[in-house]
Amino acid sequence: MGERANVTPVEEGSRIRAGRIETIIVVVLFLAGTYLFWSFNPNAPVDYVKIEDHFKYGSIGSDVDLGIPYWIWKVLPDVFADKLPGEGYESLGFVQEPGHDTPIGFSKRRVGLDRVGLNCAVCHTGTVRDTPDSQRRIYPGMPANTMNLQAYYRFLFDCVRDGRFTGDNILTAIEARKRLNMVDRFFYRTAVAQVREGVIEQSSKIMDFMKRNPDWGPGRVDTFNPYKAIQFNWPMDTEETVGTADLPSIWNQKPREGMQLHWDGNNDSVEERNKSAALGAGVTPPTLDLRRLKRIEEWLWDQLKAPPYPYEINQGLADQGEVLFRQHCYECHAFGGEKIGKVVPIDEIKTDPHRLDSFTYELAENQNTLYAGYEYRFNRFRKTNGYANAPLDGVWLRAPYLHNGSVPTLRELLEPPENRTKLFYRGYDVYDRKNVGFISGVPAEGNRQYFKYDTALPGNGNWGHLYGIGLTPQEKDALVEYMKKL
Amino acid sequence: MKDDVIFTPLQFKNLSVKNRIFRSNIAGRFDNYDGSGSYARINWEEKFARGGVGTIISSYVPVAIRGRILPNYATIDKDETIPFWRELGKRVHQYDCKYILQLSHSGRQQDMGGVENQMRKALSSTSTTEPFMGFLCQAMTRDEIKQTIQFFADGARRARDAGLDGVELHSANGYLFTQFLSSAINDRKDEYGGSLENRARFLLDVIRAIRKEVGYDFHLQFKISAVEHANAVFFWGRRGNTIEDSKQVCKWAEEAGADAVHVSTGSTFPHPLNPPGGFPVEEAIKTYDTMLSSGINTLFIYMSMRLSLLRPMFRWFWNHSKGTRIEGINEDDAKAIKQVVNIPVICTGGFQTASHIRGIIEGGYCDGVSIARSLIANNDLVKIWESGQDLPDKPCTYCNKCLVNALENPLGCYDVSRYDGDYDRMMRDVMSVFHPSPFAEIASSTSSARGD
Repeated sequence: MGERANVTPVEEGSRIRAGRIETIIVVVLFLAGTYLFWSFNPNAPVDYVKIEDHFKYGSIGSDVDLGIPYWIWKVLPDVFADKLPGEGYESLGFVQEPGHDTPIGFSKRRVGLDRVGLNCAVCHTGTVRDTPDSQRRIYPGMPANTMNLQAYYRFLFDCVRDGRFTGDNILTAIEARKRLNMVDRFFYRTAVAQVREGVIEQSSKIMDFMKRNPDWGPGRVDTFNPYKAIQFNWPMDTEETVGTADLPSIWNQKPREGMQLHWDGNNDSVEERNKSAALGAGVTPPTLDLRRLKRIEEWLWDQLKAPPYPYEINQGLADQGEVLFRQHCYECHAFGGEKIGKVVPIDEIKTDPHRLDSFTYELAENQNTLYAGYEYRFNRFRKTNGYANAPLDGVWLRAPYLHNGSVPTLRELLEPPENRTKLFYRGYDVYDRKNVGFISGVPAEGNRQYFKYDTALPGNGNWGHLYGIGLTPQEKDALVEYMKKL
Repeated sequence: MKDDVIFTPLQFKNLSVKNRIFRSNIAGRFDNYDGSGSYARINWEEKFARGGVGTIISSYVPVAIRGRILPNYATIDKDETIPFWRELGKRVHQYDCKYILQLSHSGRQQDMGGVENQMRKALSSTSTTEPFMGFLCQAMTRDEIKQTIQFFADGARRARDAGLDGVELHSANGYLFTQFLSSAINDRKDEYGGSLENRARFLLDVIRAIRKEVGYDFHLQFKISAVEHANAVFFWGRRGNTIEDSKQVCKWAEEAGADAVHVSTGSTFPHPLNPPGGFPVEEAIKTYDTMLSSGINTLFIYMSMRLSLLRPMFRWFWNHSKGTRIEGINEDDAKAIKQVVNIPVICTGGFQTASHIRGIIEGGYCDGVSIARSLIANNDLVKIWESGQDLPDKPCTYCNKCLVNALENPLGCYDVSRYDGDYDRMMRDVMSVFHPSPFAEIASSTSSARGD
């Protein structure tokens, strides 16, 4: 009571007023904070319960730094339909599943805004059709045989350089699909400028050499040259800038540990190879989502196996082929074979050397500086002198063949180079059960043009790997029949 | 000079003054905390008497401690104050200058109530918190009104006992009388609120009570905000009394026994139109803090002055309704009132030019003018005019720095540009109010007695 008696009326009035103001401030801050938290909750990727969904749509961290705001990415095909060969991202060979708002290979994460990035599945999930009219079957872990990554990059590069890539146009396009509030509008308008800046910066580094080189086409990527440009800022005027290679399958990794990985066998650590590939998808060392990448790695390690050949196999013929396989292929290409996972010198394998040459000593040294400051800093990159012998599990899904995907079918690989197809088409996913591979003579299907692969262009050579070319046609058929079972 | 109307005596019913120039109500916090007067105030008033004004109207003199606006202002709330006022009157009279004491009560416009008032709210016509500073208040009961009326009557009696020449009721500029008169402030439901007649009742009761106390042969004038412009700052508010309202109030006051009316403006003090010239925010930052804790708008006032982002908002609010006129800002209102009353009208508001003053007195706008800031700038302004000069060499710039400095610092001219940038010279002028000191006189007389 004594204390109260010393409170002046002004103090009492001020206390009441301050209490009201504080209450208002607290309520306003709480509401604003809640709103901002739910609107821009930082670094919250979309997660999936099923591992297969996580592989196809989950985040590995590429959406943090280089992620494109989802709604900007979503409307690019609306605003720049003229820059796409067909409708939407599917026209670039991405695989769209019903019920998903991105194709396979795109993850979503909220970093201020919802952003999309690439993940492992973009290059390692492919499709097969039995006939042109069949439904596509999706095979996680298989090379992305229809997906044209270079065309996607070019689309992005072209969009941001186009005069129509303005805040007004993009916001108008977004609002045709989704109502934006004032705060969203502000952030998306700002994001348009950031995307332009970011994409131009990336593209300026790789546009020139990409223009000089033969196009990658679907199912292929130049693995290491973008590292030189983007990670190391090297001038891209050297001769070793054609390094286009076929996308590999990534199932069943456990038995591959210790083998010389990558086409040229430049690294023998599955883990390091995985993290290197993550960089290629757009991750940076600080943004790598280790926990989510680990989930994928564990699945690929020993759970995801090569899918069995789904069509009929002539068992008798395959049995004959197995004998031939043991005789001609086993040593290099079967688990347990003496030379599996080892590099065969280029002079001996005699396949196109561009990919091998693109990975230089200098690059190997520099690759070993990546992730510096982390316990998993790279240290297993080496320069080699040939191409590595890869295990052939699920080889039926890994066409076209050789490191550069220059031979459309297994059967053709057993032919001498001069008899191999000089010009064929990639990106078509109807299966060729006779020759094992994809039908490669179809230039177009409806509106969709397929990629004409010219073996005469640098890096596209289909020579070399002369093993088995001396077998009789019947023996070759038997060998191919057996290999369907791998 | 004999023909100059400025220097023509003015005859009120009970008072004759030698010229038409009145030192308007202004003073600093020169006195003791409890309201007992000090020699500095006497020195202060003497400056103007010496300078030639015909009459000095004292600054705000509270009739009760509860009605003070600031501590350290001399009061007339008890008989013990009479000797001080008598001494002051004597000093001023040496210069053939009259002294009118302004009887005042702050009501809710109490800038700093002082420790004596800290535990109670100010008394007012209303219980509505003052909107600008957030001064708290409570509506007076009838008994409190009655008591306050008597405070004024007692104050007048003391002034007369002290040998002063008259009293003025501070019924303008937002103080207690305005709080009753104003249609924007007075929200009473009794006979002191509502109609103009009811709102004027408090003022008229006080006039009648003073007449009853001191008789009809003692000069009594009242000051009025002819137009209140109560929404000059907060434009969404009510505008308050108009000139028509005030004309009626003046007629009633004359009937009740007032001998003169002093015309001002504005429902608060300070007000964008009074004193005219603008509000020096940068200067106020240094001194306004002293009254921030008096109201409950502390944070709002502090931030609107201190935060450079909010200062333009403060300036806009303060300045949006005022025009450019300074000198003679109230003369049209004075004229309107003069046309309806038979008592002399004194007008205040930025006067500084002799020819202007001459013109309005001859033109029937008013009978005399009251001046504060121009006289602070040039204490001898009247003598300057007497010498034939129309405007002093270093006129008042109406910067109003004196106004905001008065809260914390000795009152004086704080416009260093008038001192050619010589800050020390300006300070000597400001501090001159403390000279001569009576203690120096005592010391010298003691030493001569000792034969030192």
